[in-house]
Amino acid sequence: MTLARGGWVIAKDMSDDAADVQRVLAGDVDAYAALVGRYYDRCARFAVRMLGSRDDAEDALQATFIRAYRALDRYQERDRFSAWLYRILVNQCRSVATRRSHRERVFVREEALLLNAPDRTPNWSGEDEELVQRVLNELDPLLREAFLLKHIEEMSYEEMSALTGVGVSALKMRVKRACDRLRERWERIKND
Amino acid sequence: MTDSEQHPYVEWIAREARRPVVTSQAARDRVMASVRNEPRPQARPRLWHRALEPRALRRSPAGSALIAAGLIGIGVIAGVVASHRDARAPAGLSRVARAPQLAVSDSIVKFVFVAPQAAKVSVVGDFNGWDSTKTPMVRASNSGVWTVTVPLTAGRHLYSFVVDGSWSADPTAPLAPDDGFGHENSVKLVRRGSAL
Repeated sequence: MTLARGGWVIAKDMSDDAADVQRVLAGDVDAYAALVGRYYDRCARFAVRMLGSRDDAEDALQATFIRAYRALDRYQERDRFSAWLYRILVNQCRSVATRRSHRERVFVREEALLLNAPDRTPNWSGEDEELVQRVLNELDPLLREAFLLKHIEEMSYEEMSALTGVGVSALKMRVKRACDRLRERWERIKND
Repeated sequence: MTDSEQHPYVEWIAREARRPVVTSQAARDRVMASVRNEPRPQARPRLWHRALEPRALRRSPAGSALIAAGLIGIGVIAGVVASHRDARAPAGLSRVARAPQLAVSDSIVKFVFVAPQAAKVSVVGDFNGWDSTKTPMVRASNSGVWTVTVPLTAGRHLYSFVVDGSWSADPTAPLAPDDGFGHENSVKLVRRGSAL
């Protein structure tokens, strides 16, 4: 049975994940490539939307998969590998964002267009992509993180809480505030 | 779902942001190239796994009283031993070990943080009064790896890193619940006699 919700929780993958982890721990490093292949794109979407930069997202992804590899012996099969990996990813994105805050970042149009090649998204406008990323970048990082986990990764608040260590009520408030900011932005555009 | 979440503009932003981003095979290859240079992770012995797993303990009231009495005894002995150990402490203790919050330690914990661009990194936590000047970390030569070893008492400790003045949780450790001040703290559990 396949349980597709938000494209990141898939029952079949869970058994595949456990088998791949066991193979890696038994000495088959190539089995880790299967895990990287299975989750890289999903993690990349979160990292790019969160950080708004291809280079920063790749840094976060590189660090995430290496840290996960180093800590693989601590992964418990009773946890979903995807949730465990996402926890590392969210923390890596926070670290990259912290380091980045010390230097000026400019999100350039060319960078946005690079992130979304037209062959993968035929009806996709690069201008829309740039606008969406700019709108997301305007949100406070904590609000953006909660918004992305809820509405882009489509996690439940309980999953988000387990992943971030933040309480459910605080997360609900962050998502609501993020949506309020977006709605206010729309009102400003409409009235201009 | 709130009115704001159902707003057409919010739904449009979410729908557009859900579109996949294109990634390169070269980026995946870089990950695997780095992984191949790492020491191989190994499965932990199952007995060790079982020892680390949380379990519910059922005890009769009489049994609980006996255990409590035993723990008090152990605590007293440990206190005596710790006091004795402090009395014999050599004059050349490290700067960290001299800190008043760290008079008795049960474990030496090594904190590690990777920040290649940072000029200054320190660890703050309940063990040093959240003072970013008390436990500076040292950068390993020619790398972005910052480390410091800290003696800690057994128990649950909250900590964070301060990177050029900005707080950052440990990306490799569990997060504590929101501290209400906008900081994300990490959690370190220290067992008596353990060392990392």
